[in-house]
Amino acid sequence: MADRITFKRIIKLLAISAKMDLIWLLRDTRFALAGISADMISNISTVSGVFLIASRFGGIGGMSTDEVLFMMAYSTLITGIFIIFGSGNNIHISRIIGRGQLEHLFIQPLPLGVQLSTNGFTPFTGGSNFIVGIVLMAIAVGRLELQISFLWIVSLMAYLLTTVTIIIARSYLVSSMTFYAPVAAEEISSTAIDGTWLISTFPLSGMPVFIQIPLLTVLPEGLMAWFPALSLLGRPPLGLTGYYPMLYALLISLAASFIFRKGLRYYVQKGSNRYLPYGFRR
Amino acid sequence: MNKYLKTAHLSALEITNGGIIYLLPDILIKVCTLIPLIFLWRVVMSSGAEVGMSLGQMLTYTYVSALLADMLVVKTTASGWLSDGVLLKLYGRPLPVLGQLAAQTAGGWAPMLLLFSLPMAAAAPLFGVSLIPASLLFFISLPLCVTLGFAVDFLFACLSLKLKNRTWLLGCIRMAITAIFSGTVIPIRLLPFGMDRVMKYQPFASLGGAPLSIFAGVADVGETLALQVIWNLILWPAALLVWKKSQEGMVSYGG
Repeated sequence: MADRITFKRIIKLLAISAKMDLIWLLRDTRFALAGISADMISNISTVSGVFLIASRFGGIGGMSTDEVLFMMAYSTLITGIFIIFGSGNNIHISRIIGRGQLEHLFIQPLPLGVQLSTNGFTPFTGGSNFIVGIVLMAIAVGRLELQISFLWIVSLMAYLLTTVTIIIARSYLVSSMTFYAPVAAEEISSTAIDGTWLISTFPLSGMPVFIQIPLLTVLPEGLMAWFPALSLLGRPPLGLTGYYPMLYALLISLAASFIFRKGLRYYVQKGSNRYLPYGFRR
Repeated sequence: MNKYLKTAHLSALEITNGGIIYLLPDILIKVCTLIPLIFLWRVVMSSGAEVGMSLGQMLTYTYVSALLADMLVVKTTASGWLSDGVLLKLYGRPLPVLGQLAAQTAGGWAPMLLLFSLPMAAAAPLFGVSLIPASLLFFISLPLCVTLGFAVDFLFACLSLKLKNRTWLLGCIRMAITAIFSGTVIPIRLLPFGMDRVMKYQPFASLGGAPLSIFAGVADVGETLALQVIWNLILWPAALLVWKKSQEGMVSYGG
């Protein structure tokens, strides 16, 4: 019989994931620390590319070097949150679907959504980028001499939540293909999340509108760091309202929810057969 | 040779077996990365800063980097030979393991070269990009880059054996190193704070950055080729030695 899901129960489930993360860190500290370092190096490498360009050229497209640093700090915070809450392939959902691992979740006495939202929580081994993001944000805010108010911090949190929502919704939306083609689409969430990450670090300021608009609509990479960063700096781009990312997040979430559920129904009827008799995946 | 060609052919088929439609997301992402990147460089270079490269050279460098991405920083399936069961396939066939890996990898480049690189090369004039190499020595530099890429990949693959299957961890570090140090994303000569003067001598700079610089006409061709040869001569024996020692350490089960 499924547990009754309350807020307290969700916190307990997150605590279980956190405990397992801490146990891994303590049991295999050398590799856990290596993993933490790898995460940090990977992200710093991604964001430093754009920052180095900005440093070399004294800014990009009307954004000063410090504003680019602010944008990179925002991007790093997003990466940090993503890793803290998404380390169990629960956001790279096509891997779970494609590998036939949804069955592992079906046998647990918990709703699928609750499991997926709690089982990737790794605050101890996954928190390094978030901390780096906070440090970078503090440096950027200091250099830009921004006046920080309570409302500004709430806005920052709202934009972070919105960006993460868009990432998750898009991943679930495209991963719905995996219900129908488990082998071919197993890594499609990686394409949607990791494959696009470089574009999301591009400051779009100064680019032609025919480049900016698609990157705020069809491929929302401009909403991953550029739009929120400029909004937090008090000048949302293209004359759009600062609430545009929230509206986008709502629409893509609704679309993802509808299509994912449809795919899940198909999967429940058809199942998956990915494993060879000697253990490896097809 | 025929066996290797067949292996390469099979590798290409493996990628397209699910249907070309499943390659479209990757192609779309590549196109959608390349086009904004071109405009990013246009915006950046319009600042007028003197960086020793013209806008045309920069665009050529970026464009060719995208077209030949797989060859400029070689990545074989070797890193996953324990976790993905790659070793089972490789040791079950009557061909040298490293030879198979090379053939498989080269075969795997074919679909993207045909479906992405070729059409985008044809479309280059639309973006104002010239794809005429500044020096024909590019065609010597590119194979040197590819062979060095295989040596680097084999070294990373052997390291994955030492790290007991932490392929993801190694993949992150490797991606980070090659992104910055190979010059495929940002030309090494554009790095600030005097980093360019030192960075061009490290081995990763002889990967993608070397042929790209020669193609775009911003390299000291003699020095670049000499560094590529030197790094090949150093890293290939190292890779073969480490590979020989690492084989006994392979242990795998499950998938």
